[in-house]
Amino acid sequence: MTGRDHLGEFEHVVILAVLRLGDRAYGVTVRQEIEYRIKREVSIGAIYATLDRLEAKGYVKSQFGDPTPERGGRSKRFFRVSAKGVAAVNRTHRALQSMTEGLRLFERYS
Amino acid sequence: MRQTSAARPPLIAAWLIELVTPHEQAESIPGDLLEEFSELASRSGLTSARRWYWRQSVKTITHLAGAGFRAAPWSIAGAAVMGYLLRWFSAGLPEQVIVGVLHFRRHHVTPYYTWPQAQTYLLWLNSGIWIGHLLLSLFIGCFVAVVARGSEMVAATALGLLCGAMNGVGFLVLVARHSPENAYLAPFLVHQFVGSIMIVIGGVIVRESRSAMARRTSRV
Repeated sequence: MTGRDHLGEFEHVVILAVLRLGDRAYGVTVRQEIEYRIKREVSIGAIYATLDRLEAKGYVKSQFGDPTPERGGRSKRFFRVSAKGVAAVNRTHRALQSMTEGLRLFERYS
Repeated sequence: MRQTSAARPPLIAAWLIELVTPHEQAESIPGDLLEEFSELASRSGLTSARRWYWRQSVKTITHLAGAGFRAAPWSIAGAAVMGYLLRWFSAGLPEQVIVGVLHFRRHHVTPYYTWPQAQTYLLWLNSGIWIGHLLLSLFIGCFVAVVARGSEMVAATALGLLCGAMNGVGFLVLVARHSPENAYLAPFLVHQFVGSIMIVIGGVIVRESRSAMARRTSRV
């Protein structure tokens, strides 16, 4: 296993947002989900740069929907997490869990 | 949701976004921004929505430019350096052409210049060389954008910034060597700055023509 098998912090956040949204995951909903959950304004450019990177690694797959009038006749690009992506999320999660185990973060630093 | 004519995103911001967005994301990024803008305009008002659109555009352009450079750093750097060298070696070309044309026009007509003729000659010489340099910068911007296919704006902007930085250094050297009050320094700086802008405009021309071609192809 190499360092490349683990997700970066923002990659982790984005892939979790896509997992939470299920079939409704596209740029707008992913951005809003992240903003709602972690209270941080992120740009649509950062979301797509990360999603493209995740797609290049095979962690997410995308497909275009139908064009809609409220988008000026442009299509939505829907994303879903692949099996390889789920495995990467699990791996990263386990790594974080193992690193935080026994630290008693809440008692010591809150 | 109905999109009223008033609820339109800022034109310049929307144009800049379309300019830097890669062709494969030409549907998703501008579409997502427009969708959220319309939603925000109906919920919080047009002013707030426009402010949000500008903020998103600036951040998105920065991200896309960075991602574009990281995707093909060597080809973009190579195109920018090639453009810089081309500009360096062809810097004397406009002067040679304009002087050649003016001398050709005057040849066999009069062996000397009267004062009005000399004034006209100088005017043609100065403005001709100035325009020639700007056209050369425009051509080099186009060339670099054509070479850096897919990253037209990143490559042209990189070259524009490279030239701007080198000219800034040149300007500081001139100021250090000569008197800062020298009246020739300010036009020099303006000339070089406009040259950098023309390089970026060259990139815009190539990018716009490629986008138009891609739109035509997708319609067919």
